[in-house]
Amino acid sequence: MATGFFTDATLCIGCKACEVACKQWNELPSDGFEFTGNSYDNTSQLSGTTWRHVDFVERESIDENGITASWSMLSDVCKHCTNAGCLEACPTGAIVRNEFGSVFVQPDICNGCGYCVVSCPFGVIDLIEAVGNGDDAGKYALATLHEDRLNDRKTALQATGGVAGKCTLCYDRQRIGMVPACAKACPTESIQFGEIEELRERAKRRVETLLERGVDARLYGADDVGGGIGSLNAFFLLADSPEAYNLPVEPVLPSTRQAMGYAAAAAAALALATLGWAIFRGDGTDA
Amino acid sequence: MKSYYDRPLLKGPHWGSNVVTYLFLGGIMGGLGLISLLSDDRPEPEMKKLRKATRYTAFALAAINPPILISHLGRPERFLNMLRIVKFKSPMSLGVWGLVLYSGAAGANALRELADDGVVPRMLKFVAPSATVPIQALLGAFMAGYTGVLISATAIPLWAAGKRHIPAFSVCSGAASASALATLLSTLQGNHDVIPRLERLEMAAAALEIALVADFRKRGGAVTAPLFEGRVGKRLRDFTIIGGIVVPFALNAIGGAFKLPKSIDALRSIAAATLTLVGGYVLRESLIEAGKLSANDPHVAFRQPS
Repeated sequence: MATGFFTDATLCIGCKACEVACKQWNELPSDGFEFTGNSYDNTSQLSGTTWRHVDFVERESIDENGITASWSMLSDVCKHCTNAGCLEACPTGAIVRNEFGSVFVQPDICNGCGYCVVSCPFGVIDLIEAVGNGDDAGKYALATLHEDRLNDRKTALQATGGVAGKCTLCYDRQRIGMVPACAKACPTESIQFGEIEELRERAKRRVETLLERGVDARLYGADDVGGGIGSLNAFFLLADSPEAYNLPVEPVLPSTRQAMGYAAAAAAALALATLGWAIFRGDGTDA
Repeated sequence: MKSYYDRPLLKGPHWGSNVVTYLFLGGIMGGLGLISLLSDDRPEPEMKKLRKATRYTAFALAAINPPILISHLGRPERFLNMLRIVKFKSPMSLGVWGLVLYSGAAGANALRELADDGVVPRMLKFVAPSATVPIQALLGAFMAGYTGVLISATAIPLWAAGKRHIPAFSVCSGAASASALATLLSTLQGNHDVIPRLERLEMAAAALEIALVADFRKRGGAVTAPLFEGRVGKRLRDFTIIGGIVVPFALNAIGGAFKLPKSIDALRSIAAATLTLVGGYVLRESLIEAGKLSANDPHVAFRQPS
């Protein structure tokens, strides 16, 4: 049974309880504080150590009714793609699909090569750069962890070099029948967790209701997003175009470009080998 | 244009000079495989010397590339994690296996030369059959090409837009750099007779390379701006396009057309070869650096190259 998230922008109030719950449950360190000036969003992005990120979209329009301003918030997360770029790119087999259909990074196998980072069309997965001492913003601060957990984490991060990190869809919680931390903490049910098919049906009904009420609403990732990626196990209901939430309109699965690349390289190699043969052995004195 | 506060949509590569060096040497190893094949089994003494030089050097490079990759990964054991599985969908996985197999073939060929030189017992020659020569060349072509596929089969818009061009000019750059390195080695060996041929191969590779790079710029449009404009673009133009292709091509053409005094000719070919090698390194470095810039621009990431 595949499980996933349905995250609804029309219900999000921007409380960031999901961000906090995720950090707390998964023992993720702070990425450091940076005052961005971008609305109430000082988290800015998903990272190796930030697995939920609330977008704050401020919209203003001026017409005959005067100035109207509106908000739209959305809690972004790893999409757990049907065909995942990170999973395909991983050379060690550290990234796997688990029994819940989620894309999961096994930290003890990841060797920190960073190829998954550039292979995610949604810019989700990132390296947890290095082990810091608590003062280094953005680094995995071992010193802030409880003694009991210190050795576990040291092993997981292999002490140096870092590993890739992203949402596990709370694999550990799911294994014991619990709901992921973010969905549990969400006070408005903007984040819903459940069986994918059921979530999709619920989402489609929700869009119909919203459209009847005259609200701009569309689903993102409930069906095939194109580019070879397929549908997303964590999909969204948006109240604006995908760009407004920093989501790609036309994402593409990177591995779809490989065949062409190998063919181009082979053609160049063949051309050079032919020229080389003529230059080195073209005088008819072949031994 | 709509965006989320112009925040980057994608994450850029965490790759520095060690990965650039790894890709650069991978290209050279590919080119050396070709030269080793071209100079194989020829009666001329200068070809025999070239053959030996390329085979020993290819093996030496195959031996130093894993430590360079390890310096990126942090600890030696982490390299072994790459050898847990073979994954055809991952150029990183295939590339590491390509490197391992290439090392085997290059080692066998180096062993043949050692046996030929009498450093090791002659009978060891039979351990390494002659088939390892074309095998090394084929694996070499893969080594030079996969480094291009590795970066173009990613989500980074600049790299993705170069899905045909980047692998093709990576192969050319690898061949040109390998010819240049072989030229320097031949100069050291005093094997001057073989240099004109190496320089002609280098010119052929450089001509194809510059044509492909120019075509990439023409067809790529706005997505290619990080590579061809700004700080990275200036460096690429100065060190690769002009310094690494045009100038060495001209120097090699002069060497081919006129009979220069021996000492001046040696200086000319050393200069051309050195510039080509620098250009090859800067090409890889510029691709990585421009990839970082490309990842930071959300506007080219909303609609990703097919």
